[in-house]
Amino acid sequence: MKASVAWLQKYFDEPLPRVEELVDALTFHSSEVEEVIGEGEDVALDVKILPDRASYGLCHRGVAYELAASLGRSLSEDPLRTPLPEYRAGKPAPVVVAIDDPEKCRRYMAARITGAKVGPSPEWLRRALERVGQRSINNVVDATNYVMLNIGQPLHAFDAAKLEGKDGVPQVRVRGAHAGESITSLTGEEYTFPEGTLLIADGTSGAPLGIAGVKGGKAAELTEATTDLVIEAANFEAAGIRKASQALKLWTDASLRFQNNLSPELVAYGMRDVVALILELAGGELQGVVDAYPNPEAPHAPVTATREMLNGLLGTGFSTDDIEGALARLSLPYVIEGETFTVRPPFERRDIAIWQDLAEEVGRILGYERVEPAALPAMQDAPDQKRYTGIEAIKDVLVAHGFTEISTPSFAAEGEIALANPLQQERPFLRASLAANMEEALTRAASVTPRVLGPEPMLKLFELGTVFTKDGEHLALALGYRQLEGKASSAVLDEAVDALTTAFPASGIRKPEGMQGGGSSASAPAGGPPASLMELSLEDAGFDAIGAQASLARISLGAYTPFSLYPFALRDIAVWTPEGTEESQVALLIQEQAGPLLARMDLFDRFEKAGDEGVRVSYAFRLVFQADDRTLSDADIDPLMARITDALNANEGWQVR
Amino acid sequence: MTVAIREIAGIFARMGFGIAYGPELEDEWYNFDALNVPPDHPARDMQDTFWTKEETPRPPRTHTTSVTARELKRLADEGRNEGRMVMPARVFRNEATDMTHEAQFYQVDGYAVGPTGTVTLAHLKGTLEQFYKEYLGKDARVRFRPSFFGFTEPSVEVDVWYEIPGKEGRWLEVSGGGMLHPAVMRSAGLDPDAVQGFAFGGGIERLVMVKYGVPDVRLFHNGDVRFIYGFDEAPA
Repeated sequence: MKASVAWLQKYFDEPLPRVEELVDALTFHSSEVEEVIGEGEDVALDVKILPDRASYGLCHRGVAYELAASLGRSLSEDPLRTPLPEYRAGKPAPVVVAIDDPEKCRRYMAARITGAKVGPSPEWLRRALERVGQRSINNVVDATNYVMLNIGQPLHAFDAAKLEGKDGVPQVRVRGAHAGESITSLTGEEYTFPEGTLLIADGTSGAPLGIAGVKGGKAAELTEATTDLVIEAANFEAAGIRKASQALKLWTDASLRFQNNLSPELVAYGMRDVVALILELAGGELQGVVDAYPNPEAPHAPVTATREMLNGLLGTGFSTDDIEGALARLSLPYVIEGETFTVRPPFERRDIAIWQDLAEEVGRILGYERVEPAALPAMQDAPDQKRYTGIEAIKDVLVAHGFTEISTPSFAAEGEIALANPLQQERPFLRASLAANMEEALTRAASVTPRVLGPEPMLKLFELGTVFTKDGEHLALALGYRQLEGKASSAVLDEAVDALTTAFPASGIRKPEGMQGGGSSASAPAGGPPASLMELSLEDAGFDAIGAQASLARISLGAYTPFSLYPFALRDIAVWTPEGTEESQVALLIQEQAGPLLARMDLFDRFEKAGDEGVRVSYAFRLVFQADDRTLSDADIDPLMARITDALNANEGWQVR
Repeated sequence: MTVAIREIAGIFARMGFGIAYGPELEDEWYNFDALNVPPDHPARDMQDTFWTKEETPRPPRTHTTSVTARELKRLADEGRNEGRMVMPARVFRNEATDMTHEAQFYQVDGYAVGPTGTVTLAHLKGTLEQFYKEYLGKDARVRFRPSFFGFTEPSVEVDVWYEIPGKEGRWLEVSGGGMLHPAVMRSAGLDPDAVQGFAFGGGIERLVMVKYGVPDVRLFHNGDVRFIYGFDEAPA
């Protein structure tokens, strides 16, 4: 909701404080201000009115009310507390209204104004609308928009001459759409309604005039020639408006407000203000107002709470004076007996229904900073984290055996349970197995292993995650292994499972049947070394029992360094050094010369040899080069390698091999 | 994620919280109805929630608050009136992914209930402040702002003051919470006049991103080992 500060100022006698103070007042006592738009006279606040407050908050009066309560000021005049006029319907009635379903249309007021002159709006109105991002159309339409933005009641004006009418009296009927019925909207788009969508129709001809609570139609649009007006102020059931908006993919200022469950009482205030404004701006004569309100809404039930209840929920020590102060700032009518408060919420405050709602009102207005942090009392029983500990203990065993944990998406290309609305068309199922993701992760990991793991001969990954089958969901464990250099072993995965069964002999963890000797071998990538993977159901693993015995490894991490998306390059370097030379001496020299492009280095070989010049030690390092912003070429790396070689050779008795 | 949850679990264990589990593919009742989310609420729409193609469609849970609903029912069934649990686990939202949004992520939800008057909004503040102090650093402070959730009343947005070493501190929006709504208690079979408590929930990835400087939430669950080895090892 965009609220113009100049517009809000109309509600206050004294100048409002600086914009920063308004932002804080709303954010910490009411609803967050997401953005401050514009400058000076034109500054507007984009207030993210909370859903429960939207039935009264999506208008300047609502924001001004919240500001007044937050700042401890009073409104100079509240349009919802000033009296309503008594309208004459006139005889015969100047407009006739019929409501088919009073549950979907709870109230429909219609006014008839004749002799009006449709034309441009005055400057003040144009500016007021522009400040909140609205475009001026003409004085009558602008009047309906202004009143909506001011007190929250959506309104609409029809050209009465375009309704067929009976004996010169226009007729309006609120009804459900027939199958296939359509309308051209005010802005020219064509909409075909799902059957039952609520419409405003010409009561005589039956033609649709507008989509109830959403948007008006072209058929009874105002033009410069219009002099005879029917003004609508109505209330429609929230869920129906939301469904209509969704079905038509049409969200408007009106539908947004109706779907937040406005009070039907508000209708009369909207009608009072819009009629007055149209008569002021466009002239003409009010012929009468009819009010179809079959089931008037009863006043909200009073809500009662004691001081003890309120403090007992908030954990505060508010006095009765504090609480009375908060209720007074909110202009909520209340009576107090001893320490018991009974509040009668005004019609627009549809959010106050239970005593906990009062606690929220008191808490937010007095300020949540007055809620002092308190520690929970100690519990008698130790907290139960057995199942969690059991699951984590399994991970610890695998990590101790050189496995790395991965986490992959729950959505999959294949599975047993399909989604009706998948995010990615290529992953329309919930995964029934972890295998496919493991295979993909192995392939991807193999290509980056020298960069992240150094010269590791093998890659071992695991994932512990939920899989979804027709029979239900359960935790599964996927183990993946890939030999990168040297001879592949068929026993790696078996050994991992053995380690688990040895660590947790009483558990139900077993090798999957028919998967002896390395598990199910996945297809080896072309020319690449073979991968194997194994998937175990942990449905009967007995996590609680494992967890009752286990204690977990504690791991802490340092800062994260983003990885480069560019390929890395490998270079090996080996150097003879005199006896007693430390690995770190060599490493330090290399690092100094290589500079920031050296992403990692690993010692992969060391041996000693006795010769004519005594014992010499050979150190062999694998260097990984990578840049964050480009793919490195030989032209980048060769000069570095030359510098490293020179620097190493410069030492007495060192020789790059 | 394992490391983060282990630390989170440890901190909450010291405050008396157990760890509860529930299905990832949840019944509509526990994900929504039991949590006082009205039948026509937009959160249930296909735009926000995934649904299965089944005779009775089920949502992959949109929050682990569904486990709170199950745990409260268990308390009621066992005739107890106090308990504390956290649920650090995977949740699903149907939203476009970008650097700060993922369709599947981890959330830690939690609750504490006890006889009326014993578990208050002040305890929520104290519990979360203690948690963030231990997880992010001793300078962490918590502040509440008004908010709205169907399953809590009052509801608050939780900001935490966080100082990255060497940088200026700032307030971060980290979770939501409030006092469990009486309708949630009634759905679980508890007497809202006799039992009262708080609930909270927040994303774990976001905390990890803040704590370690991870730039993109999509890195967490794509199975890339480069992400896992992107963290410096620190001595335990």
